[in-house]
Amino acid sequence: MLVGLLLCASVALAQGDAKRGEYLAKAGGCVGCHTEARDGATRYAGGRALKTPFGTFFGPNITPHPQAGIGRWTEADFIRAMRSGVRPDGAHYYPAFPYPSFTRIVDQDLRDLWAYLRSLPPSARASRPHELRFPFGWRSLVWGWKLLFFKPGSFAPDPGRGARLNRGAYLVNALGHCGECHTPRNFLGGPKKGREFAGASLAGGGGSPNLTPTRLKKKDDGEVKDFLLTGITPDGDVAAESMAEVVRNTTSQLTPQDLDALIAYLRSLPPLPDEPK
Amino acid sequence: MKKSFFAVGLAMTLATGAAMAQVKPEILVKQRQAVMTLQGKYFGPLGAMAQGKAPYNAQIVQRNAGFLDNLSRMPWDGFDPSTKGEKSHALPAVFNDDAKFKEAASRLQNETAKLYQVSRGGDEAAVKAQIGAVGKACGGYHENFRQKQ
Ligand code: HEC
Ligand code: HEC
Repeated sequence: MLVGLLLCASVALAQGDAKRGEYLAKAGGCVGCHTEARDGATRYAGGRALKTPFGTFFGPNITPHPQAGIGRWTEADFIRAMRSGVRPDGAHYYPAFPYPSFTRIVDQDLRDLWAYLRSLPPSARASRPHELRFPFGWRSLVWGWKLLFFKPGSFAPDPGRGARLNRGAYLVNALGHCGECHTPRNFLGGPKKGREFAGASLAGGGGSPNLTPTRLKKKDDGEVKDFLLTGITPDGDVAAESMAEVVRNTTSQLTPQDLDALIAYLRSLPPLPDEPK
Repeated sequence: MKKSFFAVGLAMTLATGAAMAQVKPEILVKQRQAVMTLQGKYFGPLGAMAQGKAPYNAQIVQRNAGFLDNLSRMPWDGFDPSTKGEKSHALPAVFNDDAKFKEAASRLQNETAKLYQVSRGGDEAAVKAQIGAVGKACGGYHENFRQKQ
């Protein structure tokens, strides 16, 4: 009896908070990759095309539909997917799913994200298979890629850095996965060592700018903040759509304290020369 | 009907471009960049109003929407093949993917023309939504055809 009560209590404690999870999903930009790019598309029902040098990925349906979505998953399945990039059946996920960043999300936040995903209306929209160039269709190749470039493990605050910078580092590196676009990649699609946030070429020919102080120091905090809230620079220049979406889904949705922490962290990065385009 | 009107408009601007092919490529680049600069000047305040960062002012919206409607038709003949080798932020796709480039150009013109139309009605919510649509057209364009930095 007593044991039963204790077990119940610990289950209730361990359960995630969907409201917090909703905020974390914004900070992680989950909706963009998991929702079709057309007006009126069902949120989180999948279908977004993600073009990469290896082919086109389609974000899957992550609503709790038992067949079309992840309705049959357990919380442990979800945590393993995010932390280790492994499917419930043991196959490896492609890093187009930014789990190399999400692995750093701490346990409680993963539980809250899971609670939020469980609260979504289930959608029967079938996930579309990826269309990858030979030989990237083989998931087993991802194993080698992970061996080279993937370091699993949740974020550990740096005691020498203070709470605000640690919060900023967490928002940028774990949830925000800003480096997925702003850190240059080598020919195997792995992040270039020592070149974090130096700017990168992106699929389709465009590129992302350097986020280290080398470039960012030319703008004051107000300008950076306005950009991250509106996607528009003081001269009226409109950000390329991939960043504009990050602004709509993520940076403009952060609490003022979180946005300040994020900017403070970018300012604290070691300055690096721009990545040659 | 509307669509074909814009298609004709686009064809005409392109034709004018051909007739003026003697203009030096570096001048064409400067001129088209000037158009973009002015688009920024007149779009910026609208973006701020749409996102509630500046108070809404229907008169300014209407005036700027009119300017933008004209500006949205101006840059395209500046992307003459002669400018291909000039230093600019234009990506090779501008010259290599003609169909996609034209499609993006007419999308921007259509959305801007719509903004001009709704700005003359009194529906603030509709105007703000349409400012968002123009912003998306600009952003989509920059994504595929402009090199940042
Ligand atoms: C940059 C795009 C992108 C973002 C952002 C993203 N995902 Fe995904 N996600 C993907 C792709 C692509 C896959 C499929 C990977 C594969 O098939 O190997 C995926 C797969 C998944 C899966 C596994 C689904 C299945 O059926 O196996 C889950 C769960 C998931 N994502 C959750 C999330 C959550 C939660 C977030 C936000 C914190 C998020 N994703 C953000 C691209 C993204
Ligand atoms: C999907 C790819 C992508 C992701 C993810 C991404 N960015 Fe960007 N970012 C871009 C691109 C592309 C640009 C250039 C936009 C333009 O044309 O103005 C950009 C521009 C910026 C700029 C403007 C810099 C300047 O000097 O002009 C800032 C600041 C920025 N990003 C911050 C972030 C932060 C913070 C995150 C994470 C929360 C992030 N980005 C995630 C693609 C991305």
